[in-house]
Amino acid sequence: MNTTTLKNPDVKTAPHSHSTLAAHAGTMRVAIVEDDPSQAELLTHWLELAGHHCHHFDRGELLIRALDQESFDVLLLDWNLPDISGVDVLKRIRTSSQSGLPILFVTARNREDDVVTALRQGADDYMVKPVRRLELLARLEAIARRGKHRIEQPEVMEIDVFKVDTQTRTVMRNDRQVELTAKDFDLSVLFLRNIGRLLSRGHIRENVWGPSAVVTSRTLDTHVSRIRNKLGLTPENGWRLAAVYRYGYRLEQLDPSRHLAHDER
Amino acid sequence: MSVLAGSNRSAKPMPPHIVKVDKDLEALVQRFLARKRDDLQRAREALAGGEFDTIRRIGHDLKGAGEAFGFPELSNFGAALQSAAVAHNEGVLIEQLEAMEQFMARLRITLDK
Repeated sequence: MNTTTLKNPDVKTAPHSHSTLAAHAGTMRVAIVEDDPSQAELLTHWLELAGHHCHHFDRGELLIRALDQESFDVLLLDWNLPDISGVDVLKRIRTSSQSGLPILFVTARNREDDVVTALRQGADDYMVKPVRRLELLARLEAIARRGKHRIEQPEVMEIDVFKVDTQTRTVMRNDRQVELTAKDFDLSVLFLRNIGRLLSRGHIRENVWGPSAVVTSRTLDTHVSRIRNKLGLTPENGWRLAAVYRYGYRLEQLDPSRHLAHDER
Repeated sequence: MSVLAGSNRSAKPMPPHIVKVDKDLEALVQRFLARKRDDLQRAREALAGGEFDTIRRIGHDLKGAGEAFGFPELSNFGAALQSAAVAHNEGVLIEQLEAMEQFMARLRITLDK
């Protein structure tokens, strides 16, 4: 008689409170392009247990279309898809406005020339199926760390006039504490961790309110407007928290020299 | 304990192959095995119709998924099906599909406490 055991290895379990989760530096919004439903379910299960939020696409074109309105922290991409190949998806992303999206190829194609092709076309990493859970999580976190927008951040961030402490959940501006609600704090942290990055409304909602919360656009706009005022994220202060039509928001730190010129005028 | 058993056409009594899974993975594993039983049937039909590319794709998916779900034997069957389909080797395909069916018939899933 043969016996094997399939266990969930020791990983952190998903926290119960979403606000705790959202504030956790390691939470990622992950897009999974995988046409095999079993594989997609397993990858989603593993990643959600580790506290990440997953969005599954079973066709490459569906992801490409979604990227017109959505942003993700990282993409898991299969090679063999029913419509277009994973390499074609990769090429199109690398020439799009989301060219910096970290991409991990997850495929059963194990030939050296396949690995080389994917990496040369701009994949950040390559894993051959069957994947192992802890290795997948480690590689995902590693490419996100190396990415343009670092996912893991220290508990205390100092950015320009802001000092953000995610442990005490406080934001100081010019050494004075800014009064923020819990949601406004989470929203502020999300923007300050992603300066210069265009975040979709879905991405913002999911990070701040949780993946299953129903939040209207108006509610989101109200919170954004409130933190813009409370934190002084305006051009006079060297910041711009700009809305992008039908997509989301981007926090930009304006060129300090232009800011100075503006002040001198 | 929940038990999964497939059809068993083999005349030989074979020992069960027991796989223990965490409770939170049970539903996923059950769905995976049900899909693979469907794939096995599809592969037989494809072989009858000479559709080697269908078998290649089924083998490719199985190769990638089996071990991740705790069934390295299924990954091995997948690899064998894929390469035999590429080579249009009907004899090997018949053997591998039969062996895979027998293996799945022996599978028993139990919950790990």
